[in-house]
Amino acid sequence: MTEPFDALHLLSKTSHAAHCRRCLTGLPAVSTDLDASRLVIAFYCISSLDLLGRLYDKISDAEREAWREWIWDQYTLGGVHGSGFRPSPYMKVENPSEHSVQYDASHMIMTYAAIITLAVLRDDFERLDRPSLIQSLQSCQREDGSFSTTPGGGETDLRTLYCAFAISTMLDDWSGINVPRAVDFIAKCRSYEGGYGQAPFCEAQGGTTYIAIAALHLIPERLRNGAEVVTPAERAQTIRWLVQNQEPSGGFRGRTGKEADACYCFWCSAALQILGARELVNVPALLQFISDCQFRFGGIAKSPGGPADPYHTYLALAAVSMYPPDNGEVEARIGSWKLPRLDPLLNTSEETSDWARKYVRARVE
Amino acid sequence: MSQNTGEQILLFSDKREWADVVPLEQYEGDPVAPIFYSETYKDATDYFRGIVKAGEKSQRVLELTESIIRQNPAHYTAWQYRYETLLAINGPLDTELLLMDELAIKYLKTYQVWHHRKLLVTLSGKPKPELDFITVALSGDDQKNYHTWSYRQWLLSYFNNEEDLWSGELDFVEKMLTKDVRNNSAWHHRFFVVWASGVRSGEQDRERVLRRESIYVKQNISLAPNNPAAWNYLRGMLDHVKVPYSAVSDFVKLYTVPFDPSRPDLVDLENPPPSQEAQLPCVQAVEFLADVYEREGGKENIEKAVELLKKLATEYEKIRKK
Ligand SMILES: [Zn+2]
Repeated sequence: MTEPFDALHLLSKTSHAAHCRRCLTGLPAVSTDLDASRLVIAFYCISSLDLLGRLYDKISDAEREAWREWIWDQYTLGGVHGSGFRPSPYMKVENPSEHSVQYDASHMIMTYAAIITLAVLRDDFERLDRPSLIQSLQSCQREDGSFSTTPGGGETDLRTLYCAFAISTMLDDWSGINVPRAVDFIAKCRSYEGGYGQAPFCEAQGGTTYIAIAALHLIPERLRNGAEVVTPAERAQTIRWLVQNQEPSGGFRGRTGKEADACYCFWCSAALQILGARELVNVPALLQFISDCQFRFGGIAKSPGGPADPYHTYLALAAVSMYPPDNGEVEARIGSWKLPRLDPLLNTSEETSDWARKYVRARVE
Repeated sequence: MSQNTGEQILLFSDKREWADVVPLEQYEGDPVAPIFYSETYKDATDYFRGIVKAGEKSQRVLELTESIIRQNPAHYTAWQYRYETLLAINGPLDTELLLMDELAIKYLKTYQVWHHRKLLVTLSGKPKPELDFITVALSGDDQKNYHTWSYRQWLLSYFNNEEDLWSGELDFVEKMLTKDVRNNSAWHHRFFVVWASGVRSGEQDRERVLRRESIYVKQNISLAPNNPAAWNYLRGMLDHVKVPYSAVSDFVKLYTVPFDPSRPDLVDLENPPPSQEAQLPCVQAVEFLADVYEREGGKENIEKAVELLKKLATEYEKIRKK
């Protein structure tokens, strides 16, 4: 009989760390479509280094300091709709006019990514204007309970809602959100399959299902009015759908009938973890799939044989953090798959999550 | 503007008509994850920052933003500014939609393309041609494109017109499923049309609708039993109308055992059998039957359910080994 982890390769931490550092140094012109989301790339790369335990390895204090400063450079202090972080300086000019400032606004998803990344870098958040951040959450929530990416406009879907919830959690202040309305919106995104779609009536999808489940579980007890965030029947149905998404290859797919993909290995398995159903994940198969997605020259790809990118690299590592091999005897090959534990709700290492909850927290005046 | 033909592209800084605009560089100190922009992208965005700073919204902004979008379809500020410019100059919506037809197919996976379309159609108030466009978009290589399907669902629910919009949906979804019976996006859309969106005109007799859907999904299962999309539809439908799963156990059982050649070949619409080529037992059927027993409860049923789940694990392991 073969042992469950026999075919598992070494998790090549060094080459994955090198991939992330390369991306932080610069991206080729073919990545121009990331121009309006560079902060998220920083989030994936720096968070990967955190999980790989390589953040303090051959990276100087000055370098980490420069990363922090760059993120703070994206802070839009003093906006009329409150402040947050912009995706990158792609709309920033040296002497802005009133018009320029209007189009150089903060973005909810970037704000979440910036705060988590600053926590990874152990920032003290002295510069964070909390009332203004709360105001920006308020100005992004719409009538139907959803959130737009930028104050007063832009796209709305479940991703933005999750970011607003995560920010409120770190602030330990939910006054920026109308929670019942937001919960109504999440409920409208639920589909007959048991997963959630990105907007009402949309097909169930792994990423948005994670986001819905995580958001619901972030709501503090005192705001739940004694109600369960998901009923037992809903929970069972969601778990069934998530489990069905684990392919025989071990990877998870994002939708019924689609192919397995390393990012869904996180989205689906993290939702199962939050729902208290981690024992239903086939861990050896999951790790085998991720192992096969490792790119020869560093980083992790969407599927075996593909090119690596920071998004799939981070999410695959985050899945590994939650589902390490359970073998007792630790030989180096299997031991390489043990990473720091992850907080599945905020999607960062437990240590970073503790830091964020402590230092981002709205100060009592 | 063509980016891919290799011909020389004229920069905005070379164009006389743009000489009055002051191009502005992106203002950034020590960068993190900088992108090594192409010359044409840097040129176009320099002019864009200049235009935005001045607050200009004119015809030529459409040319500029189109150039940026073609180089970076995820540049949401260029999209936003383009939309605001169209409003400000009262630009022709039909020309814009024509351009969007091209860009939507080209950048099918970009959120902004669809968001912009949504804004345009909200303005024009003409959703019908959009359905035809989506039908074309979904007939290409990507029949499961999430944005495209979401856009269709949004159009139907937002404009909510029985005659013009909803009336053709069942035919449309049937065609999509005929092309690929495993397309879960199409099954999902069917569920949306028949159940989740409310009661459509001509569908008031819910008993009849349930019978029709039940026959439809069972027939499709009999043609391709190992199809989770169809099984999920069957489950979702029964949940929705609150009919217990046991109502279909006679049908389901046919798929939980190896093919029975001695079974008389009768046409039974309620319980269409698997074909001789079907791979049996079918994992989804075994799981379904286990759920039937579990829900009925009682010691004996629970034992049966556990037995089936064990069988499921073995079947699953067999597939994995392949
Ligand atoms: Zn992916």
